[in-house]
Amino acid sequence: MNETTQELPPEPSPQPRRLLRARSGRMIGGVCAGLGRYFNVDPILFRIGAVVLAFVGGVGLLAYVAALLLVPAEDSVGASGEPAVRNRWLVIAGVVLLLLISWPFLLGGGLVLAGLLIPLAFLVAAGVLVWWFVSGEGPSGDAGDVAKRALLGIAILAVCGLIAIGGAWAAAAGGETVVAIAVIAAGVSILVGAFVRPMRWLVLPAVTLALAAGTVSAAGIDLDGGVGERDYRPASALDLRDTYELGMGELIIDLRQTDLPAGDVPLDVDLGIGEARVIVPDDVCVATDAEVGIGEVRAFDRHNGGVDVDVDDLPPADPDVTRLLVNADVGVGALRIGQSGADLDLDRGHFDFGDHDPDLGENSGCAT
Amino acid sequence: MRRSPDLTSVVAGVCVIALGTLLLLDAAGTMDLRFEVLGPAACAALGAILLASGLTRPR
Repeated sequence: MNETTQELPPEPSPQPRRLLRARSGRMIGGVCAGLGRYFNVDPILFRIGAVVLAFVGGVGLLAYVAALLLVPAEDSVGASGEPAVRNRWLVIAGVVLLLLISWPFLLGGGLVLAGLLIPLAFLVAAGVLVWWFVSGEGPSGDAGDVAKRALLGIAILAVCGLIAIGGAWAAAAGGETVVAIAVIAAGVSILVGAFVRPMRWLVLPAVTLALAAGTVSAAGIDLDGGVGERDYRPASALDLRDTYELGMGELIIDLRQTDLPAGDVPLDVDLGIGEARVIVPDDVCVATDAEVGIGEVRAFDRHNGGVDVDVDDLPPADPDVTRLLVNADVGVGALRIGQSGADLDLDRGHFDFGDHDPDLGENSGCAT
Repeated sequence: MRRSPDLTSVVAGVCVIALGTLLLLDAAGTMDLRFEVLGPAACAALGAILLASGLTRPR
């Protein structure tokens, strides 16, 4: 009997499962969706984990950015199942980056390095998001695409930073009207462009310029008066200026040796950014009408701080007593009013409040 | 066929014009711009732009 044995072709070895960033069901870059598919669990678990870890020193964000760069996307994998890696050096750089991240953790001494890399991961993520908004190109494709978009987004952020500084400086230097007109012109261009040719790239710079100038205006920062330290010690009421003005720095008005008449004596202070100190004799009553955009007002034993600080403290005084009417406008910083107590000692060059409440004396010259 | 306008650009343009108008009114002395006004206005503008951007993003 003739037996014919028919050899079956060897079964192809099963393809190992591959971790890929999912194209469908993704929220951002498809990392969590891909992990869910790989481990056959609901991807929401990975999303929750990533968000929670993002608040634990930014580890989740760092891992997400690393996965964005290193894990290939579904649409970048060719028919052969091999990812179309176009920029191998980026993958190598990513591996080196991961090693740099991991070794300090393993050695237990990587807080310094992590302190540098985690902000870098935030920057990359911000760059990807910015480019996504501007161009509509999300974090899909291979590592090279993601890195390129992140770099373009970071470049846009850098330009916006320069615009913010320039806009804030222009508004503080008295050019608020010009900045406002520039913002409106940009808005009109964006609006008209929507019907002709969209200019989404202009949105972020325009909003940045508006918010920078708006912050300066809301804080009331005015750089008129120069920059530096000013120390005024008038001898009499006739030597008092109409307005003590400084753009940025430290403004000291020492009235301890000033011969002040009885009755109301106005004192106007206008400071953009910094600290203004008004030092008064013991027998003077001080009435304060102050506005501080961001910062604090300390007048004797009273303290107000925060944003949009308004202080109206107008106590009466006897007719034979000097009442100093301090009308102050500070953009960002502090206004301090007090007597020649230990905490106002000018010889020390600064207020030394330390951990204790400052001793600025009492507004004892006012009528009770 | 006439192309429909880009919704994100329309919303962003209107928001930027509104912010610029606030600045102009403050510069002209018509209103006193403060953080209690600027903060909500900025949040509303950014929120509207992001919302429009999300609504028009191709899936």
